[in-house]
Amino acid sequence: MPGFFEKNRKYIAMLALFLLLFWLVTIQVKAGRFTVLETPVLAVSGFFERIIFGSYHAVFSVGRGYVFLVRTERENLRLKNELGRLQLENQITNELLAENERLRTLLGFKKLNPPASVVVQIIGKESSPSSSTITVNKGSSSGIGRDHAVITPDGIVGRIQAVLPGTSRVQLITDPGSTVAVRVQRNREEGLLEGKLDRCALKYVSYYVDIQEGDLLVTSGLDGIYPKGLPVAVVTKVRKHEASSFQTVYADPVVRISRIEESLVLLK
Amino acid sequence: MRPRVYLIVFLLLIPLQASLFTPLSLGGAAPDLGLAVLYSIGLLTGPIEGAFAGVAIGLLLDMGSASMLGFSGFTRGVVGLFTGLLGRRVLDIQSPSNIIFLFVISLADSLFSALFLEITYGSVPVFGLFFGRALLRAATTAAAGYGILRFITEKRIVTWIRRRELQKEL
Repeated sequence: MPGFFEKNRKYIAMLALFLLLFWLVTIQVKAGRFTVLETPVLAVSGFFERIIFGSYHAVFSVGRGYVFLVRTERENLRLKNELGRLQLENQITNELLAENERLRTLLGFKKLNPPASVVVQIIGKESSPSSSTITVNKGSSSGIGRDHAVITPDGIVGRIQAVLPGTSRVQLITDPGSTVAVRVQRNREEGLLEGKLDRCALKYVSYYVDIQEGDLLVTSGLDGIYPKGLPVAVVTKVRKHEASSFQTVYADPVVRISRIEESLVLLK
Repeated sequence: MRPRVYLIVFLLLIPLQASLFTPLSLGGAAPDLGLAVLYSIGLLTGPIEGAFAGVAIGLLLDMGSASMLGFSGFTRGVVGLFTGLLGRRVLDIQSPSNIIFLFVISLADSLFSALFLEITYGSVPVFGLFFGRALLRAATTAAAGYGILRFITEKRIVTWIRRRELQKEL
């Protein structure tokens, strides 16, 4: 018997390691994700990601500059029109905001201050079959902290998961471990939106709640991470389970995450 | 295999995947560099070293992402073990059939991950992920893996990587 163990020492060690990993995963299913060595790994990978990202952009931006010069005039005209429209919209919004502030003051509500933000550049996008994260080029030295919201003008992207002075990792809203407190914009019904890799899903929604395809889901602000009212996802599919009292609602994020290059981190 | 090779792999795997390979994705699916590199390691070293290398690479990926610590370690360890057995008993490192094997392994990896997430969290669109993402991912990973194998064979990098074992054999 000792001879058997001696002979197959490596295979037994390997089996023990596999069992240990399996046990580790089963613990995390209940207790939540362990974050061992997350910061050192981010420090090393972030350092090299900056170098690779910088070199890649230095090479491609030269060629791209010439290619895109042709489209610049047309783009400029379009942007001028867009600017005019947005200025008009901005004036209307400012009026409404001022009116809203006056009414809130009358009602004794706390004054609303838009949170300060930092523009960040995406330097790395992870591609794993079990998670969705991105790396950005700013960190705690710019005031960024854990659980700060990451957004674009279109809607929310995710939240800061790990921070270093010059780099941060963002957990995207499509990550399976991500949850966002949302509300259906049309009828103010609330729910928790979970990431499902390519899309998101609202779970445990009562069978009788009125949700339709095309409904816009916005942040409810109840999770304490995302400010209230930001667009999150659009409902694409509603599955009613006859046997249970729930329905599953699938939604696609409003932000095309694969295409974003910059985003804003809201500082609390 | 040389410790220096492992050091290079561990240092550059996540940055290369995140900054270079994923932005060059095809239809939203990028080649899985970790799997492609692990496949090459498994073929070159054998089942035991392949499995341990797989666990190490997987744990590194877990720590560098938002997934549960140990999940990729487990799946990549199994992949390393399997490719090690494959290399020892069936496959030649230069064979084009490596494309098919790596394609199948990548598909199995994605499918296992999707099923695990479905069991753990529920409501994961397994079929949608399989046809929308896993197939493309497997195709790009197989191409990347075969490219790596061709590169290290043609540039005689295999000899450099395996110098220690070759010295032992002599």
